[in-house]
Amino acid sequence: MSLVELLWLLLQDAFWSGLASLGFAVLFNVPPRLLPGCALCGAAGHMVRTLLMETTGFTIEGATLVGATTVGFLGTLLARYLRSPVPIFTVTGVIPMVPGSFAFGTMINLLQFTAGGPNANTIELVDAAFNASKTALILGAIAVGIAAPSLLFQRRK
Amino acid sequence: MPQNTVQPVHEVHLIEEFHQAQPKPPLARDELREAIVLALWAGQLLLQHGAESDRVEETVHRLGTGMGCDWMDILVSPNAVVATTISGGEFRTKLRRVPVLGVNMTIVDAINTLSRQVSRGELSRAQVRTELRRISAIKPRYNRWVVVLMVGLACAAFSRLFGGTWPIFGVTFGSAAIAMFVRQELTRRHFNLLMVVTLTAFVGGLSASSAVLLQLHYDPEITRIPLVASVLLLVPGVPLINAIEDLIKGHMVAGVARGMTGLLISLSIALGLLLAMWVVGVGAL
Repeated sequence: MSLVELLWLLLQDAFWSGLASLGFAVLFNVPPRLLPGCALCGAAGHMVRTLLMETTGFTIEGATLVGATTVGFLGTLLARYLRSPVPIFTVTGVIPMVPGSFAFGTMINLLQFTAGGPNANTIELVDAAFNASKTALILGAIAVGIAAPSLLFQRRK
Repeated sequence: MPQNTVQPVHEVHLIEEFHQAQPKPPLARDELREAIVLALWAGQLLLQHGAESDRVEETVHRLGTGMGCDWMDILVSPNAVVATTISGGEFRTKLRRVPVLGVNMTIVDAINTLSRQVSRGELSRAQVRTELRRISAIKPRYNRWVVVLMVGLACAAFSRLFGGTWPIFGVTFGSAAIAMFVRQELTRRHFNLLMVVTLTAFVGGLSASSAVLLQLHYDPEITRIPLVASVLLLVPGVPLINAIEDLIKGHMVAGVARGMTGLLISLSIALGLLLAMWVVGVGAL
């Protein structure tokens, strides 16, 4: 992939993921002055994930971890700068990384498996296990990523 | 009334904090009552509108100590807050039952600002009361049609991220907007949360199936994108993220309960979507 193609891909990626975060921010009644920050977090996190997956050998789980950590730190900085609660930025920022299609795939594969009867080809069961594992790992990566700043820097005495 | 002659037993573990803190004048019983009512009011507003347990605990504590109490002991459960205020040798306890409403970050943000002001000692108890009354009256921030439009666009943006074409984008936008409208109508009629989620996913799924029925793309992987994307507006992001946050910070009961809420919402989405696919007959694709 040429550099121009990569930049174009990342630009589109940032636009759509920023829009997704913005929509959810409106759904969660985020005050208007904080909306740009939410869109920025969403765009930055998902763009980092796409960049890592396209240019290096990162799997989607690893890339999600880095992306969510980016959202965590960026959200913490924005919250300090704008004097507002951190979750406003992190919750809306990780929304574009939610593994919706893997969760959907798990559901479909399980249905296909049960429809075929116990002696049918078990490839659907393997597919279901694969999709379920992906869903769980990505959700875990998101959780650890956005908790990273508070785990590292907010220690209780 | 003799004040503060003996250190109460239940505060022994806090002795270090007592020595560090500036000595505060002890509050009378009715002052303690006002402090606990106001602090719990703020805690209730936070818990109702989607804050994590640690934030609720910290805010109640800051408000109580900011209004003159020596210490606050707080227990946050998923649907109640209990607090004990302590000043001198005197203490009072109150429990507040909290029905959880929708996420409203404007209220969470406003309480956050209030908590900062009180802990800097900028507000009197009367001013705190006025401010809490104002925050309680905050209505949903955006017009319902703006929400329908933006949520539709957000889900349609997901369809692009999943690799959908422009016709797929259009179907997803329409389905998600219809689903959001249905969700608002059902929520307004106070249906059970899981019922609202299932029915919304059902309607969204029905509408999104049109991409499969009309064969908007030769690849079945692409025509099923609207089915996934148009129910993403129901994703239990706030309960699940709060659950993890609670579990990590040691609020185990609240964390497990919120995680279970998130899981049930996810299963309800799946149920509604399956019903829709079964009715339309797009089946196992």
